[in-house]
Parts: sequence; C-alpha cells; structure tokens
Amino acid sequence: MIATANTATLSWFAAHEIRLAWRDWKMLMSGGRKLKDRAVLVGMALFVLGVHGIAWIALTPHLPIAAGTAPGKAMLAAISVSFVLTFTMMFSQALEQVTRAFYARDDLDLILSSPAPSRHLFAVRITAMAMTTALMSGLVVAPFVNVAAILDGAYWLAAYPVIIALAGVAAGAAVLTTLMLFRHVGAKRTRLIAQIAAAVVGASFLIGIQTAAILAYGSLSRFEFLKSEGALAQLPDAGSLLWVPAKAVMGMPAPFVLFSLASLAFFAAVVWRGSLAFREHVVAAMGVSEKRHRHVTRHGAFRARSTFGALLHKEWLLLARDPWLISQTLMQILYLVPPALLLWVSYGAKTNVQTILAPVLVMAAGQLAGALAWLAISGEDAPDLVATAPVRPAALIWAKVVSVLALIGAVALPFVLAIAFLSLHGAAVILIGVLAGAACAILIQLWFRAQAKRTNFRRRQVASRISTILEALASILCAGTAAVAAAGSWLAVVPAGLCLIVMGIAWLVSPRGN
Amino acid sequence: MSAVSDAPALAIRHLKKTFEEPAVDDLSLTIKSGEFYALLGPNGAGKTTTLRMVAGLLNADAGEIAICGIDTAKDPIAAKRVLAWVPDEPMIYDKLTPMEYLAFVAGLWSMDGEVARAKADQLIDVLGLSQKAHERCGGFSKGMRQKVALAGALIHEPKLIILDEPLTGLDAGSARQVKAVLRHLVSQGVTVIMTTHILEVAERMADRIGVIAKGRLLAEGTLEELRNTSGAHGATLEDIFLQLVEEQPDTAQGAPVDRHGAQLAGALA
Repeated sequence: MIATANTATLSWFAAHEIRLAWRDWKMLMSGGRKLKDRAVLVGMALFVLGVHGIAWIALTPHLPIAAGTAPGKAMLAAISVSFVLTFTMMFSQALEQVTRAFYARDDLDLILSSPAPSRHLFAVRITAMAMTTALMSGLVVAPFVNVAAILDGAYWLAAYPVIIALAGVAAGAAVLTTLMLFRHVGAKRTRLIAQIAAAVVGASFLIGIQTAAILAYGSLSRFEFLKSEGALAQLPDAGSLLWVPAKAVMGMPAPFVLFSLASLAFFAAVVWRGSLAFREHVVAAMGVSEKRHRHVTRHGAFRARSTFGALLHKEWLLLARDPWLISQTLMQILYLVPPALLLWVSYGAKTNVQTILAPVLVMAAGQLAGALAWLAISGEDAPDLVATAPVRPAALIWAKVVSVLALIGAVALPFVLAIAFLSLHGAAVILIGVLAGAACAILIQLWFRAQAKRTNFRRRQVASRISTILEALASILCAGTAAVAAAGSWLAVVPAGLCLIVMGIAWLVSPRGN
Repeated sequence: MSAVSDAPALAIRHLKKTFEEPAVDDLSLTIKSGEFYALLGPNGAGKTTTLRMVAGLLNADAGEIAICGIDTAKDPIAAKRVLAWVPDEPMIYDKLTPMEYLAFVAGLWSMDGEVARAKADQLIDVLGLSQKAHERCGGFSKGMRQKVALAGALIHEPKLIILDEPLTGLDAGSARQVKAVLRHLVSQGVTVIMTTHILEVAERMADRIGVIAKGRLLAEGTLEELRNTSGAHGATLEDIFLQLVEEQPDTAQGAPVDRHGAQLAGALA
C-alpha cells in the first residue's frame, strides 16, 4: 500500500518510532547478530531476574518497616537521595537522546522534506525519549520496587507511575535545556555543551554527596553521611514539601497524586512547546557541519617527522577534537574527584589511603584506555591510507598504542606523584596497576579490532559483547590486584593470576587468536 | 630495494582471489611506465579486488604482483613507497583540515618538511581547495573530499597511482580539474590506472583499456585494437564493452541492453 499524507498521524508516527526503537534496542542487546525477538526477550528477562536477586540481598536487612511506623527523616532522606540520583541519571540519558535527535538522525531530511506535519513526529519523538528513559531506568529500579512490595507491602508499587512521571520530567527538562542552549550559545556549541553536560550531570550528584561525606566524615559512603546526626539535624521536618517525591515513591496518596499531576502537566507543556520549536532548531543543527571550523595550519605541521611522529601527532589531534571523548574523559576525571579529595583529607593521617585509591585509579585508567584504544585502533577513518603507507603494520600499531598510553600516563601521573608523598610503595603499585590496566584494555581492543567509523564510538560495545565483558573483567581484576598489593599482601597474586587467565581467554576467543 | 627503471609500472602474474566464489581468476596484466590505463568491467567483475591486492590491502590467494619491478610480497614497504591508492569512497579525517591531512600523509611517507609544505600549497591551489584549506573536512561535499584524497595521493610523488572510480559524484568542474591533473601526471611519466563506469572518459583519456569480467581479462589494448578484436570497426567503446560482457554467461550485464531498457520503461510507465 502506498502511504499518503493522511497516514502521518500521531499514532502512525508512534508506530514508526516504536518499530525503529525496538530494532535499535534489539541490535544493542544482540550485538548486531541476527536474533529472534523471543531470544532478546528471554535475555532481558534473565537480566531482570538477576537484578531481583541483588535487590533481595540489598533490601532484606532494611524491610519490612514496622507496622504503623511513619517514615523517619533518615529513610525519607535515603529515598530522596536515590530519587535525585535516578533523576540525574535519567536527565543525563534524556539530554544525550535529545542531542542525538537534533544532530544524528538520518531520517530528518526525509521527514522534513515530506508533506507530513513534522510537529507530530517531534511530539512522538519527545514522548519516545521519556518512555525509553523510563524503560532503561525501570529495568534496574523495577526489581527493587518488586522486592520492596514483597517484603513490605503493595504500596511500594506506586513507585512505577512515579518512575514514569520522573522520566517525563527528565525528558522535559532535557528538551528545555537543549532549546535554551540553542537560543543562547547557538547550534554549533549546543552539541558539545550538551554532550559534556550529559556525561557530567549523571555523575555530579553522586560525586557531590561523596564529596560532602569525605569532607565531613572522611568516608566515601553517602549513606553513612545521611545517617549522621549532624546531617539529619540540617534536614527539614517530615511534613516538609521537600519530601513529597519520597512520599510519592512510598505510595502516600496525596503526595503521589500531587507529584504525578505536576509531572504530567510539565511534560505536556514541554511536548506542546518543544514540538513547535524542534523543527526550527533541527534545521539550524543540520547546517552546523557546513559551518566553518578554521584552523590555520602552522608551518610546524609540515616539519620533517618520522612516520611514528606523524601518526602520534595525528592521533592526539583527532582525540583532542573528539567531543564524545572529551565528555567521557571529563566524566572519568570527575569520578576521580572524590578519591582525590580523600587523598587530600588523609594527608597527615595514618590511613592506608593508597589501598582505597589504587582500585579507583586503576579501574578508571582501564576504562579510559579502552575508549581511547578503540578510537585509535578500530576507529581509523582512513584505513586504506595508513595501510598503503610505506610503514610496517607493527609500527602503525605501536604508534597508536603509545598515543593511548601517553594520554593515560598524563591523567594518572598527578595522582601517582601525590601518593608518592604518602607512600612510595603505594605510588609504585598504582603506577604499575594503571599501566597494566591500560595495557589489558589496549590488548583486548587490538585482538578484537574491527574497522569502524569514529562516529560509531557510542556503539563500540555492541560490536563484540565478549570483548566488552572481558575488558571489564580484566579491568576489575587489575583494580583488585592493585588494591591488595597496595595493602602489602602477597594475596595480590590471586587476582593477578585470574587477570592473566582472563587475558588468555580473551586471546583464545578473539579473531586474532583464532 | 629500489625500483627498476625499465621495469613495467605494474606486472601481475596469475593472480587469484576467492571469497565465496572466485573474484579474481588467474589474471595476468602488464602496464608500462607512463601509461594511462583504464580498467573496465561490470559490477562484481573483480576490478576493485584486483587493485586492492595491488595496493596491499588484500592478500592474494596465488600469483605475483610487481610494482616498478618490486615484488610486493617480498618488499611491500618499498612497493608502497612508489604507489598511491585513491579509493572510490574518499577516506579522510573529518576532524582534520586539508592542510593537516596533507601534513599527516607527508609524515607517513617521511617527506622533507619544506618540500612537503611547498607541494601541499601547490596541490591545494591546483585542485581549487585554497578557500577550504584551513577548514575541517567534516562538512565537505563528496567532490571536495575526493579532491583532498587525490591531493593526499599526489603529495609524495608516486610513480604509480591507482584510482577506483575517481569521477563518481564529482560535478563537471571538479571532474574536469581531476582529469587535467591526471593527464598532467601521465605527461610527467607517472603511470595512472583507473577504474570507471564512465566509458566516454576511458575512451578519451586512456592509452590502453582492459576489460574484465568474472575475474578474467576479456580483452586489452588501445581502442583501435579493441575494435579489431571485437570485429566492430567504427564502434564506440560502449558498444565494444557491452558486446564483450554480453558474451559472458551469467553476468547481470549479459542480458541484452535493449530488453533491459524496455523492461525499465515498462516499469516507469
């Protein structure tokens, strides 16, 4: 049947979006392999079942609440913190989706040039963002809600509509933020700022709480901080409006209705206003790539370089101009703020701070190295050019590896030097751990490398699920080894040995090993 | 190992490559220095596979390739030093400017800095890229990207340049510029091998033409020699090409053109 303009209704666009979203989701879950819908659903069900187990272990000590007991400030504070954490994660995710909707949707040319009312599409797309955000968070939060309902009563199920309402608020806030950025900084800068904000916002609240905990109590635990008498004294009474969201999560009727209606009204207003403004901004965003980005090439760019030097220079130039990488690196560095603060407040104290810092730094280095290595090794945009250059393949790879290691070293070095003032042994352990973690990530990227465009960076995990899992395992084991070694125990050989086994498995199952 | 001066620019002997079915099947080809050679063939004929093996981007299953007398299997680095490859889809870095791209290519070929700078300025000027020389390539059109890739291929002064469909997607002005550059290269003694589906270009520009289908060389020679081979005196290259490939069983192009045209017209009616 040939579609006519009459078919482009809200429901028709919604069906189109749902089909695309399901296929996108399926591809994400299946790693690009052809899987039946049923297999994907079974996989998702197993994941949700696994999280139920974790939720059971986590909630059993705290639930049920004694019958007739009104929730205290400590409990309301704990729920509120989890609520705000969930919101920041949702907002970060929605902001990233909005940015993509503006800049990276391949079908916009077709839709905007068609006689279909684009406003319908954008209304559906904003709603789809809210639904996706709710679904993604729901997959993680739902098991906790279910377990709470089993242990303490069905009233906890009210958290479901609250999650949906919260996702609506997060998506609405993300749309408003993006539109505001468009208005104030222009289409070109909005992309970079929104991407960085999306990465940073998700981490900022958690980091803020941890920072407060460290500064006040010298501990990384946010719950220890919330349970403290000092913190509780600063919080408003249980009747305060501040606790409305927490009470809504717990199913109290008035707060529940108030929160749900306010969220719905806010979301409806954003959809109404946002779908109007979307078209105008999408058109502005589409012209961004045509805008000029002038970089007058210095004479030094042509100075006689070795092949190795040319490759190194090119890798660093490209990495420095990658907005995704900048936001990811910034996020990794942000996550290092609490441990850095811990280090700072521990000066003079006799705490074995390197034991706490070693795993954090090694883990961060492994993650960052994985991302950098993918961009340098697999994300080569001119593979034919470098493959036809008169350079040995090993020299090409070595240049890429060095470019990654040098950047990891530059990020880790200030921490290592600071720790060296406390403990030379700790600094040496962390330095070796960081290099080992980075080396493991780089080796796995080398063994599993598959040529891709740099713009596919977001989907790098999709290309090979097994390499992603092995990279994460190696990173965790390197972090574990560093922690145990920093504590001065010979038991560090256990995680180190396990890491070697993981690397052996990675080699055996990799295309290179085969 | 240095290039042998009187050796052919490219000598291919009994080259074979099989994917699911043979893509290149016992292909032998010799192209003299300073020659403009057009390699023609229907889609899937094995043109790109052959040229990718020459450029060192694919390993051959069997056979030998020598570039300017250098065996690519024995000394690939020396062979690559005298070769430039321009793929059909220009692969350049969106985040680099044309000048930065050329500086990078010059570094890969270990060129002297001053020489590279002068050559880059000249190429940027000749290819009409001066206005965009310091802008990132991300927003460039296909034609602009193709010209940047061509500049990259020429900056290290190769003896053999291989271009896979270099004129596809170019506007008339850009196509003329690229053709002029290629003609100039040949006049300077550089060997140019080009695949193209635009038969008029091959007819007008090439010294010799090779037609391949199903990985085998069907015919080779000047336009006149091809006419003699096919027995169609006064025929155009298009006539000769279609006659040659239609004689091949099981090729999509093997079906009579007139019938295809009639079917298409019927579908559009």
